[in-house]
Parts: sequence; structure tokens; C-alpha cells
Amino acid sequence: MKLSKLKVGQEAKVIKLNIKEKETRRHLLDMGLTRGVVVKIKKIAPMGDPIDIELRGYELCIGKSDLSKIEVEVIK
Amino acid sequence: MKVALVGNQNSGKTTLFNCLTGMNAKIGNWPGVTIERKTGTIKGTNYEIVDLPGIYSLSPYSTEEEIAREYIFKEKPDVIINIVDATAIERSLYLTTQLLELDTKVIVALNMADILEKKGIKIDEKNLEEELGTKVCKISALRETGINKLISEIKKGDKLKRKPIYDVEIEYLISTIQGILHSSDSKIRHSRFLSVKLIEEDERFDKYQTQEIKHMTGLLAKKYDTDFEEIIATQRYNFIEKVREKTVIYKPVKDDLSDKLDKIFLNKWIAFPIFVVIMFLVYYLSVGIIGSNTVDMVSNIMDSFSEWVGNTLQSIGTSEVINSLVVDGIIAGVGAVLGFVPQLIILFLCIALLETTGYMSRIALLLDRVFRKIGLSGKSLIPFIVGSGCSVPGIMGTRIIENLDEREMTTMLTPFIPCSAKLPIIALFSGYFFKENSGLVSASLYFFAIAIIIISAYILSKLVFKNTSNTYISELPEYKLPNIKYIAKEVWDKVIAFIKRAGSVILICSIVIWFLLSFSFNFEYGVDIQDSMLASIGKSISWVFYPILGENNWGATVSAIQGLVAKEQVVSSMAVISGFSEEVGEGSQIFGNNTIFSSFTAASAYAFMIFNLFSAPCFGAIGAMKRELGSNKKLLKVVCFQTFLAWCLATVTYQIGSRIENGTLHLADILVIIAILLIIYLIVKNSINKKKDKCINCPYSDSCK
Repeated sequence: MKLSKLKVGQEAKVIKLNIKEKETRRHLLDMGLTRGVVVKIKKIAPMGDPIDIELRGYELCIGKSDLSKIEVEVIK
Repeated sequence: MKVALVGNQNSGKTTLFNCLTGMNAKIGNWPGVTIERKTGTIKGTNYEIVDLPGIYSLSPYSTEEEIAREYIFKEKPDVIINIVDATAIERSLYLTTQLLELDTKVIVALNMADILEKKGIKIDEKNLEEELGTKVCKISALRETGINKLISEIKKGDKLKRKPIYDVEIEYLISTIQGILHSSDSKIRHSRFLSVKLIEEDERFDKYQTQEIKHMTGLLAKKYDTDFEEIIATQRYNFIEKVREKTVIYKPVKDDLSDKLDKIFLNKWIAFPIFVVIMFLVYYLSVGIIGSNTVDMVSNIMDSFSEWVGNTLQSIGTSEVINSLVVDGIIAGVGAVLGFVPQLIILFLCIALLETTGYMSRIALLLDRVFRKIGLSGKSLIPFIVGSGCSVPGIMGTRIIENLDEREMTTMLTPFIPCSAKLPIIALFSGYFFKENSGLVSASLYFFAIAIIIISAYILSKLVFKNTSNTYISELPEYKLPNIKYIAKEVWDKVIAFIKRAGSVILICSIVIWFLLSFSFNFEYGVDIQDSMLASIGKSISWVFYPILGENNWGATVSAIQGLVAKEQVVSSMAVISGFSEEVGEGSQIFGNNTIFSSFTAASAYAFMIFNLFSAPCFGAIGAMKRELGSNKKLLKVVCFQTFLAWCLATVTYQIGSRIENGTLHLADILVIIAILLIIYLIVKNSINKKKDKCINCPYSDSCK
């Protein structure tokens, strides 16, 4: 499942980051999007992009195009 | 002793800096407020402290993060105070794990201790100290608690007790590489940090890389199914999770105020209307309501003050020349600008509120999708809004944008936003020519500026800046109640800066303008204004403004050019010039009966405002653009683009506006104009597409710009 497909309130575990751009991938890793981390979809911007997710006790907004490259396993 | 303040964006770093030094650096509630490092001295000591831009990691993504990293490596601080947002401890400690790899003493300042309890979080400080192997101090930068203890810790020379963070194999590899590094350079600093970077194959540290290290790393890599960049990051976070489990107790408290507010401010249907209303109110309040109520009062005070000074000077027997210099030059020029201070206070107050409450971050999120379509990022909006106070910090704020093309485009478009110095121009013209609609007209200019920014960005991203990205990664802070003390100080500082400029730059310019108006080229005093030096200069170039004003008006010409010094100087210059052409004692009405400006109409007034709004900004902003663009050639192109665009827009505005005024504009004319524009658009669009078609078969099409 792609992280971008989740609905508000859903929780998921990150499985893989399929991001080619080195800088973006590094940035997301540094922000805590590592394998196994649990994320929750909190809010979606009015135009559907970017999406605000909760992880590691804080909120991070990420553009949909990058979220669609993050493989997750839905928990809830 | 040098102390560096390092921490995540929005972690309260600047608040702590102010608290430690007693200075008032800028504080906001959106990521990326510290745009250049600030230096100060810690109260009661002689330690130098540097406030660095917020970073999440020591691998930089944007210019401002680069500044922070460079400082730590090149300037070699003795102590690093790592400010950690205790309410988001997991993410914050990630940077800490990197800092602890350096050979520099690190003190962890656990900030926001005051709201921990409210959030149901308990942190065992002693235990955390043990787990991290470094000193931890609980503080609240806002409430100023724990600060003295923090300062006393700086003095102590506690050595670091390094804890293993990664798995056994990686830790072993790190110590082997450290050995290699030390054997080739016994004085090498930060060897543990460097070793990790070499394992990650970070090309910024290529000069330390050797075949041997590469070989060893390659062997170990086979054990994992992904690259070391990901493994290192994951193991750091695993370490932090363990530390958190041992030291932090969560008792979830229901605090969803931010979520509730976002249901309104980020609502699918009403988010945009709310944004428009808020931005409209900012202008309507400052120019419309406050402006119309204070303008007459202030101008009356100015009139009686200038009369009083004039009479006093006469009574003590000063000559006519000096009297005129003081009254018609200095008081008229400086006074014209100072009259707008009430409007500015409201404007600065509104911007400060937008910044500190956290709404600014929502605006970026709200508009990202729209801005992305035109080649900008949602983050571009932050420079634009800061730019409505002053373009200089706005332009500097573009550094939070990671992508180079988006950053340069934002830099060149930020001055289009009406800044506070342009407010006097807008307030003057809209107040006189549009009377009770002045608030509406000034807000219309604001939205007109946004429209032009969107159109320019769209065209530029298609023609010049083609390498824009699709990435948006930004923290979303919670809403905060604004701190009245800081807001008051912020508004006060900005107003004082404006008044100081009136007392220096504007004062000198007013004297120069007075001189050029009072004397002819033969240095004859008291000549007719038409024979003055300024009139001669203005007349020689006033044809440039003919299509905008519908006449050769030298007064408006020279005033507009002075906008380069400072935009409010336009108003100041007009006040001095009109003061000269007026009959004595008729008050300081710029557009009064016999002044050179009495020929202004609503159409030319609006066109003139547009020219001043979009043309080359003041020298201060031009300097800031040069710093961000990095080359004179680029700067020249940008300034020419801005001025040319301003001239075209103003011309179109006047030509259409004056025909509406005369009633000579026919529907057919408009239709023909639209048809012509449409044809031009299609031609341009086709030529862009043609270029693309040609590129498809070219072998270099991928790497070519």
C-alpha cells in the first residue's frame, strides 16, 4: 500500500522508501521516516496535497508525490 | 569561549538566545526564522554565543542549514548547547545523536519544560543524562527557568562519556576507520563523525575517503539489504526509541485544540475564503480604517507644527533661505512620511500575529498545490508575507526553500508585494482619489500584486526556471497563543527602524530635493519652480512616464525615481515639491489647487501606484537580492525585468483607466485587446512547445536545461 492512498485517521507502518532523489530520501530519513516507524494521517491540505502525518510525536507535512513512493502496511 | 546554539527549527532557539543574551532577536512560529546567524554575549559572562539557523540533521538540504553546519566545522565552538523540544523529543534527539559524535562538549537544553505537564509527559532528566552520556538541563526559554543552571554548566568542563549507538559490527567498523584517520593525521577532529560519514559515502567528505575504508564498508554492506544511509538513520532512531522508553513517561492528555482549529483553517471549502478575508483585513484595517481616521489628525498636527517652527524662526531673525530649508524641506519631507506611522503599527502588528500564532505555516500548506502549478513552492508564501512588512527580510527568508530555481524566482518576485514603505504611497493616493473606498483600493492592489506574481511565476517557470521540484517537506507547528511581550517589542522595533530611516535617509533626501528645487543651475535662489534644477532634470526624462500619467509631469517623474532610495521617499518628495508650488498658507495638501500634482486623476493615480509597486525596489532590497542571487548579471536582469514589467502594467492601467474616466472605452475595444492578447499567448505557447519537440530526439535532452 502507498502512504498517499491512506485516509485521515488511518495508521500504517513504513516498509520501504522508493525515493530516487538522494536529497529528498535523506531528508525524509532524517525526519524519522525510517522502516518500521508507525505513522498516522492527520490532515490533508484543502487541495488534497500536501498531507500532514503524525510520527514520533510530531507532525510533518509531505507532498503527495513523495508519499506515493513510500510503501506502508496499514495497521488501523 | 565560543558557544553555539544548535537545535531543530521552531524549537525555541531564538527565544533561548534572547533569554541568554538579553537581546531581542526575531521570534516566530514557523520553521526557519533565524535566517542568518546572530551573535551575542551571555549575560554575566564574556562567552560569545551564536544563534544558528534551525537544523534537523547535520546533512544540509537548504542554504540556511548549510550555514549552521559550516559554522560548527569551521569556527570550532568550545561548547554546543543543543536545544531539544521536549514535546517532540524523539525527532529532536536525532540531531543530538549526530552532535554527540563530534569532539565538542554538548549540553542538552530540554526546552518547553513548562508545558510538559500539560501534555502529560514526564522526563527523567538524570536517567536521560546517563543514557545519552552528556549533561542535560531542563529549561523553559519562555518562562526563563533553569537558565542560570544552564549557564553554570557551560563553565564546567565535563567530558563526554560516549555511548554506542549502532550495532556491534558498525561500531567496530567505526572504531577501525577512526584508527585509520588518526594514523594519517594525529590531530584530526571529529573522527567518529567523519567515520560515520565515510561509511554513508557522503560525497562532501570524499577527501578523507580511501580504498581501504571503501573495501571494508563494502564487505559489511553485504550483510544489509539497503544502503548505509538508511541503516545509520534507522539505527539512530532505534537507539533514540530505547532511550525514550527508559526516560520518558507519556500519559496522553487530550489536547486537540490545534486539530480543531485546523478543521476550520484547513477546511476544504472555507480555508481559501478565510485566507483571503484575513489578508484583506490586514490591509483594510491598516489603510482603510486606521488610515482614514488618523491621516487628517496627523496632517493637522504637522501643519500647526510647521507653522509654529516657521514663525519661531522668523521671530529669531533667520534668513528666508534657512526658513524655507527647515519648513519646506525638512519638515515637509520627513513629516509626510511620519504621518503614516499609525498605519504601519497596525500592519506590523498583523504580520507579527500571523507569524507567531502558527497560521503562517498553514498558509504555506494551503497554497502549496497552487504554487507548485506555477513553479513555486508553498514555502514561497512565507517570504511574500514577511515581505509585506519589508522586502529585505522577506528576500532573506527565501533561504528556507530547498530548490534553487524556486528560490531565485521567489527572490525576484518578493519585492512585488507591497511592503510597509510602499504603504504611504498607497495610502496617500487611494486616500485622496478613492476617499471612502480607500481600504478597498489598497486591498485591491495587494491582490493585484498576487495575481501578477502568479502570472510572472507561471511564465518564468516555463521559460527561464525549468528545474523546479515537486518536494514539500515541512514540520507543522501547533497553534500558539501569541506572547504579548514579544509582539509589542517586535512592532516597536520595526516602527523605530522606520522612524530612524525618516530621520536619516529621508531627511537627507529632503534636503537635497529642497536644494535642487530652490536653486537654478546658475545657483540663483528663489527662482520660479519651473526653472529649478530639479524641474530641468525631471523634464528631460518625464517622457518615460507620459504613457502612465497622460502628461509630462516632471514632479512625479523625479519622485518615482527617488523610490530607489526608499519607497516612502516618493511621498516625501511629492510633499516637498508641492509645498513649493503652493500659495503660502494653504496647508500641505499635495494634490491641492495649484500644485504640479493637481493634474492627477484616479486613473493616473492608480497607474502611478502600480508603477511604484512593481518597479525596482529600494537599494536595501536590491542589495538583499544581490546576496541571494549571487551575481551582478542576474541582479541586473531581475531589476530590468521588474522595472519593465512595472512600466507596462502601469501604462495598460492608465490607458484603460483614463478611457473609462472619459467614457470612451467601448466594449468592442476590450474584445479586440483580449483577442490580440490571446493570439500573443498562443504564439508564445506554441514556440515553447516547438522547442520541446525538437528536444525529444536530442541525446542531451535529459541533462540540457
